[in-house]
Amino acid sequence: MAPAAPPAPDELDDLAHRARAGESAALDELLAALRPRILHICRGVLPYTPDAEDACQEAMLSVATKLGSWHGQGRVTSWVHVVALNAARSTYRRMKNQAVASGAAGDPASPALDRPDPRTTSVIAGTRLDLLEAMETLEREHPQFVEPLLLRDVYGLAYADIAEQTGAPLGTVKAQIHHGRKLVRPMLRESS
Amino acid sequence: MNRARRIVPATLVVALTACTGTAELRTGGAEGPASSEPSSASPSVTPTPSAQAAPEPDLDLARSETREDSYYPEVGDPLVDALHYDLDLAWDPAARTLTGAQTLTFRATEDAGSVRLDLGAPLEVSEATLDGDPVTTSRDGDALLVRAPVRADVEHELRLAYAGSPEPVGVPTTRTDFSSTGWTVTPAGETWTMQEPWGAHTWYAVNDHPSDKALYDVTMRVPAPWTGVSNGELLERTEADGQTTTRWHLAEPAAPYLVTAAFANYEMTEDVSGSGVPLTYWTPRDRPALKAALAVTPEAMDWLEDLLGPYPYDTFGTVVVDSDSAMETQTMVTLGDTPYTTSPEVVVHELAHHWYGNQVTPTDWADLWMNEGMAMYLQGMWEAEQRGVEVGVVMDEWAPSEAQYRAESGPPGAYDRGAFASSNVYYGPALMFHELRERVGDEAFFAMARGWPAANDNGNATRQEFLDFIESSTGEELSDFFDAWLLGETTPSRD
Repeated sequence: MAPAAPPAPDELDDLAHRARAGESAALDELLAALRPRILHICRGVLPYTPDAEDACQEAMLSVATKLGSWHGQGRVTSWVHVVALNAARSTYRRMKNQAVASGAAGDPASPALDRPDPRTTSVIAGTRLDLLEAMETLEREHPQFVEPLLLRDVYGLAYADIAEQTGAPLGTVKAQIHHGRKLVRPMLRESS
Repeated sequence: MNRARRIVPATLVVALTACTGTAELRTGGAEGPASSEPSSASPSVTPTPSAQAAPEPDLDLARSETREDSYYPEVGDPLVDALHYDLDLAWDPAARTLTGAQTLTFRATEDAGSVRLDLGAPLEVSEATLDGDPVTTSRDGDALLVRAPVRADVEHELRLAYAGSPEPVGVPTTRTDFSSTGWTVTPAGETWTMQEPWGAHTWYAVNDHPSDKALYDVTMRVPAPWTGVSNGELLERTEADGQTTTRWHLAEPAAPYLVTAAFANYEMTEDVSGSGVPLTYWTPRDRPALKAALAVTPEAMDWLEDLLGPYPYDTFGTVVVDSDSAMETQTMVTLGDTPYTTSPEVVVHELAHHWYGNQVTPTDWADLWMNEGMAMYLQGMWEAEQRGVEVGVVMDEWAPSEAQYRAESGPPGAYDRGAFASSNVYYGPALMFHELRERVGDEAFFAMARGWPAANDNGNATRQEFLDFIESSTGEELSDFFDAWLLGETTPSRD
């Protein structure tokens, strides 16, 4: 039989409250319990495992050091979703900058990252490249759409959970996702 | 172990012959042109009955030393040494009823005036014969009593007809991902079963104990386009008169908790490992992402064969069901449909059990750690490799939780009876195997890890036998080490 599934959200909330109150054993347990969940989120946008691992490490560090910024009312897992997502995106940006610096992205054989050379840099080989690029574009114009859209369409969170997490009214969240989708859709490849 | 691998031609397996006859006609006789041909694996493109005759089971493979469980003696009866179960299962999703016809070939281990088998109370037996003669049966909860004498070391044949709406039974566990075991029906009428430790008897009459391995031939009937999936090799899949019939043959013996049966609208995908093991994935037709998740299987197989030696069976497959858990059901793993239970780590874990748990099986539920400890350690090695870190890093991450699991559920080798399959039997023994590896070195450790299942092919083993093997294989005296790890109240010190 598979080992027991990761703890349920209720148990994680309990651990997070205790960790925030300074119980270091609870923080250890929380991080161990969250690791597979965070890795799964990072893999969602960074399919190349070592990149997802990097992002996962970054997210774990953020959880450990910034647990105080979780407001303690919504699910800790919703907060962790956002932390992991941000870590995955910052890992992506870092990898992309390295790729640009090394000339891979400027290679005439792979113009404008459209047909990336998978040998050059791992993240560029990721299948969600188009999605991440679209999010970068969206962030420049409508930064408030990015988080709700990713939480809904990549991670499948319910609208109510997204509203709770972002602190916006439900109607606003729905509208943001609707507008975000319309803007992003033309930027995505057919296959995604 | 059947070392010679037989590649089953896809055309033969999936031939959907809707144009002739009923399923009964396909089992042989003079009804179709195929019956006069040998059932060797020559692909046939003719739309004739395409069944392979079920190979004659080698009953000697299935002889077991049965015993009463030290943890859960209320299930199973050592009088019966089951050798072969022939099950014919018809599932009606609308009425949610199972109609079964069963032929159990068994050896009595002593003289007795009646025979006791486990069979779920909701199932009603309508006919019973022993060695061809009608016999009286009676029920006592989840027990079926067959009122007929049996002789020690004589093979008997019990035939039963039964029907009902099976229900899962409770398990003494504190886990949150499962609380019952056995035949489970979804709101849509699909069925699945995970049956560790004793869910088998929720849908057939069985000596429901791990010490009693047996061979299986299972025929499954369900309204098309649904399909029935079970263990072993798919001999036949036909669709006729609005019904799908599948016939499954398990060539090497399995403990009852390693049997699976699922009915749903499945899509079958064929694959093959690097070493040529035929792989099949059975996933819900409307969930393509689940099929994609299983694409890691050949890599997992190659990785494990490299460490443990050749995969010990002829075929491997996976069926995905509406569960939150995952089970190493023999040659046809049963995975829940969650991101966790279809993750590469869980795929590796369940496949690793084919050496540790399936090829060699504990004789007693006290020793679940013998399965889970090594599967967990191998899973940890896989995770480390994927992350590009030393396996020690993963073990360091596991260690703090291990202390807590041990405190909550007892030592892995003496767990609390109410905490079946808790994390304590997984992580502590995994850490123990890592410490052992550090102590004896890679060469001695992996020689032991490969040697143990191979030395007990298709068998059962006790804890003492395993520990003795480890000591003789590595040349180390380890009794204090084992006592500390398996029976200690706290995590032993780690290097």
